[in-house]
Amino acid sequence: MSAPENRARKSWVLLHVGNRRFALPAESVMELAPPVRLHNFPHTSSLIAGVIVRRGRIVPVYDVSPVLCGRESSVHRFYLIAERTFGTGNETSEASAIPVNGECELATSEMQPPPENARPYFSGTLTIENENIDVLDLQKLVSAEHQNSSATNQVEPRP
Amino acid sequence: MKIATQDTAKSRRSRSTEAVILFCIGTQTFAIAADAVQEIRSTDSLATAAIEMELAEVPKVRHLVERSHRTYYVVSGCAHFGLRVTRPTLVLILRQIRTAVLVDSIERMADVSSVHALPQAFQGEERQWYRGLIYIEDRVIPVIKPDGFLTPEEFARLDRAAKAIESRHALEGAVPA
Repeated sequence: MSAPENRARKSWVLLHVGNRRFALPAESVMELAPPVRLHNFPHTSSLIAGVIVRRGRIVPVYDVSPVLCGRESSVHRFYLIAERTFGTGNETSEASAIPVNGECELATSEMQPPPENARPYFSGTLTIENENIDVLDLQKLVSAEHQNSSATNQVEPRP
Repeated sequence: MKIATQDTAKSRRSRSTEAVILFCIGTQTFAIAADAVQEIRSTDSLATAAIEMELAEVPKVRHLVERSHRTYYVVSGCAHFGLRVTRPTLVLILRQIRTAVLVDSIERMADVSSVHALPQAFQGEERQWYRGLIYIEDRVIPVIKPDGFLTPEEFARLDRAAKAIESRHALEGAVPA
């Protein structure tokens, strides 16, 4: 493969959420964490399932299954930790975890633009082994404007 | 000489750690800086001193208590954090802030060396509720912001309601039986 072709083809981490595969840019992925304790406390931020402690850091866990698959998934025991940026100019970033089933793989492919009717949190599509895999934009996926509901995520139901 | 050395060590230790009180509301444990709490009383001991008040705009406050010529508004911890209603047995009377908080139990005191910032992912009311998080004995526990229980607007509303209650009581006291 020539040098220009190499530059165009990026590395991606393929992950399973529900029964679908998605991709994240490999450079944004920090690690695949083993099953660790999910800690909960009262809050009102949508999509946040709790926090995990990893290498001395407290990492928020986003349960993205309802957004990506329309339902919660109980088979996700591992956590894919990726960097999420904040601010319009991506001024700051923070480690963020997504529950996954542990079957993650590294792939190299060229990203194609997303279809016209694609959800805003898909930044493109990869074609790997004849399968079209949506590339996730983590920032858009977990940002408030694309969340399915504004319901509170409490540890216990409100009275 | 030995005593001085011990004092220095103690002072160094006290600078690097913070004493917190771990308390429970329902099944949830919270922490609050020990120096933010003036007094811990049982609800029974305060029952006779508590004056009922109901304000639709601040439903988490149902009582006020007078302590040392100051009015404290009693906040239901369950209602504040949106937890299942329990039967609180203790009241944390906060220092410097005219708030008392109904809680279920005190777990213990602990010395913590660091309070982690609340991750930016948390963008809701919890940013007003918590100063940060502590990791202690394999548990992540939110550290309460003492001034996060009531907003200045809520204090203003409660103060107006308290004044109305006081005037009513004064009027009732003035009417001959």
